[in-house]
Amino acid sequence: MSTATHRIDRAAMAIAAGLLVIAVVIVWDASSLPSTVYGIGPRAVPILVAGGLVLLAIGNAVLAWRGEFPEREDYDLQAVLLILGGLLALIAIIGLNGGFIPATAVLFAATATAFGRRAILTDFVIGFVLSVLVFLMFSKLLTLSLPMGPIERLL
Amino acid sequence: MDAFAALAQGLTVALQPMNLLFALIGVMLGTAVGVLPGIGPALTVALLLPITFKLDPAGSLIMFAGIYYGGMYGGSTTAILINTPGESASLATALEGNKMAKAGRGGPALATAAIGSFVAGTIATIGIVFLAPWLVEIALQFGPEDYFALMCVAFVTVSATFGSSPVRGLTSLFIGLTLGLVGIDKLTGQARLSFGVPELLDGVEITTLAVGLFAVGEALYIASRRNKGEEKIEPVRGSLWMTKEDWKRSWKPWLRGTAFGFPIGALPAGGAEIPTFLSYSTEKRLTKHPEEFGKGAIEGVAGPEAANNASAAGTLVPLLTLGLPTSATAAMMLAGFQQYGLNPGPLLFAERPDLVWGLIASLFIANVMLIILNLPLVGLWVRLLAIPQPWLYAGILVFATMGTIAAKPSAVELTMLGVFGVMGFLMRRFDFPVAPVVVGLILGPMAEQQLRRAMQISLGDPTVLVQSPISATLLGIALIALIAPFALQGLAKFNKSDD
Amino acid sequence: MSWSKRATLRGLLIAAAALSAVPASAQMELKIIAPAAPGGGWDQTARSMQQAMTASGAAKSAQVTNIPGAGGTVGLAQFVNTAKGDGNTLMVNGFVMVGAILTNKSPVNLDQVTPIAKLTEEMQIIVVPANSPIKTAKDLADAVKKDVSKVTFAGGSAGGVDHIMAALFTGAAGADAAKVNYVPFSGGGESLAAIIGGKVTAGISGYAEYEGQIKSGRLRAIGITSAERRAGIDVPTFKEQGIDLVITNWRSVVAGPGITAAQKKALEDAVEKMAKSAAWKDVLKQKGWDDAFVSGDAFTKFLKDEQTRVRKVLSEVGLVK
Repeated sequence: MSTATHRIDRAAMAIAAGLLVIAVVIVWDASSLPSTVYGIGPRAVPILVAGGLVLLAIGNAVLAWRGEFPEREDYDLQAVLLILGGLLALIAIIGLNGGFIPATAVLFAATATAFGRRAILTDFVIGFVLSVLVFLMFSKLLTLSLPMGPIERLL
Repeated sequence: MDAFAALAQGLTVALQPMNLLFALIGVMLGTAVGVLPGIGPALTVALLLPITFKLDPAGSLIMFAGIYYGGMYGGSTTAILINTPGESASLATALEGNKMAKAGRGGPALATAAIGSFVAGTIATIGIVFLAPWLVEIALQFGPEDYFALMCVAFVTVSATFGSSPVRGLTSLFIGLTLGLVGIDKLTGQARLSFGVPELLDGVEITTLAVGLFAVGEALYIASRRNKGEEKIEPVRGSLWMTKEDWKRSWKPWLRGTAFGFPIGALPAGGAEIPTFLSYSTEKRLTKHPEEFGKGAIEGVAGPEAANNASAAGTLVPLLTLGLPTSATAAMMLAGFQQYGLNPGPLLFAERPDLVWGLIASLFIANVMLIILNLPLVGLWVRLLAIPQPWLYAGILVFATMGTIAAKPSAVELTMLGVFGVMGFLMRRFDFPVAPVVVGLILGPMAEQQLRRAMQISLGDPTVLVQSPISATLLGIALIALIAPFALQGLAKFNKSDD
Repeated sequence: MSWSKRATLRGLLIAAAALSAVPASAQMELKIIAPAAPGGGWDQTARSMQQAMTASGAAKSAQVTNIPGAGGTVGLAQFVNTAKGDGNTLMVNGFVMVGAILTNKSPVNLDQVTPIAKLTEEMQIIVVPANSPIKTAKDLADAVKKDVSKVTFAGGSAGGVDHIMAALFTGAAGADAAKVNYVPFSGGGESLAAIIGGKVTAGISGYAEYEGQIKSGRLRAIGITSAERRAGIDVPTFKEQGIDLVITNWRSVVAGPGITAAQKKALEDAVEKMAKSAAWKDVLKQKGWDDAFVSGDAFTKFLKDEQTRVRKVLSEVGLVK
């Protein structure tokens, strides 16, 4: 391989660095653990895993240096953020006692939008109906405790 | 043989019209709940147990068996259709099954899973009838060192899920092992990698990881490249049913899967995951179509699915003969017996043969019921994939989070689901295989615990690992399995250069 | 309706109850927190309470919420925060939570909740394989004394009731409790198999879990941890064998912090009514739990004593610093 054509894959290099960081965190965490009276203590396996991660960090760094990671196409960041935003909204609504049904309906609408639908209201309604059905089945039939909000209390 | 007469007696009870109806209701309820990721058969049974309280013992046990098998079948349906393993034992099924579904072969995948489960369940149930007392004595010989050796065999098989690059495969595996360290160390009660977050003390939930990496990660990935114009899902391409070729390629994996699943399931700490991994890697090595593995090979669905079901029947061996509940599901079965004031165990066969054989007979019935119910439904299930992509993936995400919300309703758990989703997305982008992460999380803690248990009992003497004949044999197998591919490769090269 | 209004109304109802024939508690709409996943012991207790509460008329309705995690400490933390001054919410807990609070360094503890009543308990047992040379508690104590490292105990999770009991036994036998060779197993079935297979010296668990194996002759019972012998159980207590070891795995209910005396009284009355009902007796029989109803100051003192005892044992075995 000639040095002129090879490019260092920076994102892949970051993965290698990330693995190294994880290994350091594991060793740091393990160092505070006590030893046991008999047999192998709780420290041994974490340190073994950290060792493996260090080797793999080197392996990945070599691959990144040689540019042997696969080509990555550009991607639709907006769609990814929309879905993650839907998930965040779900967590927030449940956390604020908004209840299971609206939270799930929001996630449904956000995901459908991320996949190119442009009818957020319709999708919200579909998601809403779906989660009402799911809620009724699980909460009433199976007495499973799902997060309660104002709407759930009405049902 | 008495067993046959008793079984026949059990069957006549199970075949009464009312009981058949209970079986049908049980199977449908079980399937409906079992499709939710994070709610496996054990939890399904736990949730539905109160419903069965109201019935007479026979009806209750029959419905119970139906719920149980339905729950298990529901797990593999989602694994195949939407790449969301409902429980850890369906992970191997998702690997090839979902690839098949995407290629328009969801019908045969679901069919081979259903028929494979039926075959495995039937053979394993016959195994319970004839082999249980003998098998359980062997199972009791297994000590921690032997389990550790068994885990080593399973670890060797992980490479079957690595894909093209060993470095990337191992990286995935070690990320899984790292996640396996999180939480309270079972042997000393010390918290590891928990950073003072109480929700992390119980460790990373396997289903949260699997659903995050598989379902959420894939939704993110597909959404991110939706304009690329590939990944068109066609619900049906070619035959909806299994072709002659499919049957030919399925029947051996069914039998081999059963052979892995039943005995390992009978081991008190064997579990259902290890036999599915063993089956997957065996099928990958033995197949005549190695090029299809990773792209949707029917053997990779038939084998693990059979192994999964056979191991479930295997857990009944220690339960019925010794009263040992060795899995969460077996523990629920115990609860099923206890609602009639019965304790399974050595005395149960003698005291209440009607109930024991009733249960075994109901397992048969539930199995048959599932096949009758599900084979016609295969066409309908596959058509779910015809739902427009935005709604399909929105629905998948709703189901994915729903399972987590129902099983562990906390912001931390949902955040983890999101983080694993992003991880799954990035891993797909950088071409890291995702399955080894989950395998690492499953096997890592098991292997560590058994090794340390063995060393604690031997007071730190490592020779205990080779002194036990079982352990020595298994370690030998692991070593051979590890070296053999390299040796064969070397030999092949040698032969080539000879020409 | 705001909480304070509701509380006032509740107070009025209680006052009215003294005059009318309708007990106030019958109007209660209870929430029961099970700090565990569905299916476990605390969840079963909560769901059984739910049934018995409504069946006996101790409450109008009862709803079970599961908050699993970390030996119940995740649920406890949430309970202490959300049930403050709430006279309609109960949480199930038990011995295991006392240890988990300490080993998990939980920021909240049981001093912050309002004790209501102890409901059930299960006695513990030590067993050995049927072919073991150890026949009595004294044999086992002698073995422990001779070489504490060679006697391996199998049981449940580290820091749990089985572990604490192994340490107590070792201490009572005259050996160093810190040196107890206790091997935790993940599930009841797995540890049972290890004991029957002779992989460990002895096993520790709740009595019910080993009952079948003792009756079938695969295991030999060495002693039970109740204070007195039990009718129908042909196993001597440790106490009568000269070993000071009395411990039970109990379950109880508590209410949120900062509730009024009237609220506490109403909850105690409701729980007592339930615990004395035929519906609850049925549950106990069906599940094989021992009735151990204790409420009021006696329970508050019991809870304090158990906390002190568990802390002492756990620091001895090095789980708590």
